[in-house]
Amino acid sequence: MTIGISTYLFYLAISIALTIWVGRTIYKNGRVFLIDVYHGNESLADSVNHLLVCGFYLIVLGYVSLALKLGYDIANAQEGIEALSWKVGTVLVVLGTMHFFNLFVFTHLRRRTHGRHNNHPPVNPDSFTPVEQEV
Amino acid sequence: MLALTVLYDPECGLCRRAHQWLAEQTKLVELNFMPCASEEARKRFPQLDHDLTKKDLTVVGDDGAVYFGPKAWLMVLWALTRYRDWSYRLARPELLPTTRRVVSMISQNRYQISRVAGVNR
Repeated sequence: MTIGISTYLFYLAISIALTIWVGRTIYKNGRVFLIDVYHGNESLADSVNHLLVCGFYLIVLGYVSLALKLGYDIANAQEGIEALSWKVGTVLVVLGTMHFFNLFVFTHLRRRTHGRHNNHPPVNPDSFTPVEQEV
Repeated sequence: MLALTVLYDPECGLCRRAHQWLAEQTKLVELNFMPCASEEARKRFPQLDHDLTKKDLTVVGDDGAVYFGPKAWLMVLWALTRYRDWSYRLARPELLPTTRRVVSMISQNRYQISRVAGVNR
């Protein structure tokens, strides 16, 4: 097995393991948020959670797959490790971005449903006047 | 608060158009419309300064809270299901001065705007 091929295999193994780890973290911890958003409707929360994580996996694994090709030959182990480090680094940045995007989606959903139930007027009144009730 | 009375200017085309638009929106709080300084309004709010309500939009809550000018616009937004979030956003300290300026400008020029936009009739 050449150094090039083993770099690819290491890259795939590390990237996929990282993706699964982040995906499971989002899935486990996002559930609590979503149950709150959907007011305790657990089956709906689970369904939305699953769909979000599905999208997450598709985007990240899609990126991992597209970014596989190195485009140059690797002569020795040092170059192999450098290339691997660069590739895994970009995957980590993509994972981080997706993770924050997911967090943003969760908090946005949460704030939106909570805002609906906020009955406090946005401004204080200028004054008060007596109201005659209709007869 | 469950209902708001909106005292609008019946002589301004823009206000009548806004009234129509509001009537079609889904609401979280009931909106009742009354022409400003009308017999009906004077009866309902005997101690309100009705000459002032002719100058700018006025909204009165069912608890007697009076909101005038830009605040009245924000209260109307707050009553609408789709725009409640916006009322809070526009009322934030960093946006409120701009909201006031824009709303006052539209209010002061409502007859000209109605004429230019062709909504006088």
